[in-house]
Amino acid sequence: MGLKGHSRSKSIHVMLVYTGGCNGCDIEIVNAVLSPRFDLEQYNVYLTWNPREADVLVVSGPVVHWTKEPLLKIYEAIPDPKLVVAVGACALTGGVYKNIHGDIPSEEIEGPVENVIPVDAKIPGCAVRAKDVVAGVASVIPIINGLKD
Amino acid sequence: MVTKIDGATTCNEVERQVFETEIDMGTVHPAALEPYRVRLFVEDEIVKDAEITVGVNHRGIERIMEGLPVEKANALTEKVCGICSNGHIFNSCRAGEGALGIEIPERARYLRVLAQELERLHSHMLYLGHGSEVLNHETFAMRIFYIRESVMELLYMMGGNRVQYGISVLGGVRPRADLNLKEQQRILEVMDYIDDKVAGFAERFVNDPMVMHRIVGTGQLSQKQALDLHVTGPTLRATGYEFDQRTKMPEYDDIEFDVITQDGGDVAANILMRATEIFQATKIIRQVIKNLPDGPIVNRDWEMVDSPVYKSYIEVPRGVCYHSYGLEDGKVRHSIIRTPSMSNIGAMQESCIGHPVQDAQLAIVSCDPCFTCTDRAIQIIKL
Repeated sequence: MGLKGHSRSKSIHVMLVYTGGCNGCDIEIVNAVLSPRFDLEQYNVYLTWNPREADVLVVSGPVVHWTKEPLLKIYEAIPDPKLVVAVGACALTGGVYKNIHGDIPSEEIEGPVENVIPVDAKIPGCAVRAKDVVAGVASVIPIINGLKD
Repeated sequence: MVTKIDGATTCNEVERQVFETEIDMGTVHPAALEPYRVRLFVEDEIVKDAEITVGVNHRGIERIMEGLPVEKANALTEKVCGICSNGHIFNSCRAGEGALGIEIPERARYLRVLAQELERLHSHMLYLGHGSEVLNHETFAMRIFYIRESVMELLYMMGGNRVQYGISVLGGVRPRADLNLKEQQRILEVMDYIDDKVAGFAERFVNDPMVMHRIVGTGQLSQKQALDLHVTGPTLRATGYEFDQRTKMPEYDDIEFDVITQDGGDVAANILMRATEIFQATKIIRQVIKNLPDGPIVNRDWEMVDSPVYKSYIEVPRGVCYHSYGLEDGKVRHSIIRTPSMSNIGAMQESCIGHPVQDAQLAIVSCDPCFTCTDRAIQIIKL
């Protein structure tokens, strides 16, 4: 492990992107990272709002039309190595917004996050629970430490 | 950021230059948790005009609801908002019951009020935590987030989920939400804990001279402006106007509570407004537990019939929420949802104006925005 990898393993930065959905997952993610009960910072994970600082991108929500381009831009702005964690039923499958009436796809959303950017970890739940977010993000830390710069 | 320099720049013409700047952010910006576009027109660091636009987060939930049986459509309304999810399912069940003429059991009515007040507790605490974070006072934010977890545990106990608990169904409440004596006792214990802790928090908050100096007089909204803009909820009551939709709801008939108002309409009044409403919510919850009647919790004896458009208004944590249903053979033909943040957007714009640009975010946050649930099919008709 080089100097870069060594310093990265002590401070993983998580960035949260909201791409639609109902806000429930976002509050649980912020709750998981910030609140003293769950406290993701005990695993050396910090929340950032700057894509150039981030290592892990946490995406929530079905990607609605207007958020597709910003999501791609944010994904490209993150330096390598990077991992994407999709959080919540909407980000995984499109959730209740995916189809109208059986299999007729909705015209409002661009489908799950996988259609737009590659996803490395998935955390299910509607809304996702804070301890699942802690477990999911903690599970990708060894992966990002093993990746080459 | 776009910078325009007006006036002459030569040294002998004007002594003092006025810089007119437009600061715009959004609609999707990494620093904003929710998608909205804000444009601030700034002159010498004072905001002269502000414009907030929503509409990029449209998911067409009313379109998905069309044609579904009314109880399935009710379950979908919960996905409108992740903060006041119970308010939406409560109100849509109320609209559906009014349209189909369903009587609900007394115990179910009380349990719905209980869930609604628990939601008010967690939403107001989220507001206090978020507001403290925007004030850059992380200690207060951590304290209030820690207290909030106790309410989330109660909601988890009652509904089985931390965010979208789905207490109400058409005709009553879910069997899961029925409380036994042990759970009722647990709720009463947590209410004592919340009263104690929030009182301590509020005392520390108002006695902190640096925090109060920052928020008193910031983001002021006068009562006349608030009434002109049709502002609802705690943001209206913080300007001193006494209006609460709960006083008109039959669910709250046998429950005593005070309508809290604050004077000033600034950020301090807004924050104190929410903090004092927490004590009213705990008071209501204690009364509900004390007077909880026995009996069935759901009425299954109803039929799917046609009905004209039925409207229902309730008070959710942010103000008055409106749902309407027009049913045909028990299936949804028409549905309109109007969330309180829609009418509070005007308050967010007005409270920025006339204040320094660094206070703009605080002024917007003090109106408790929830743009996620506001993005509905909106049609503005100019007369």
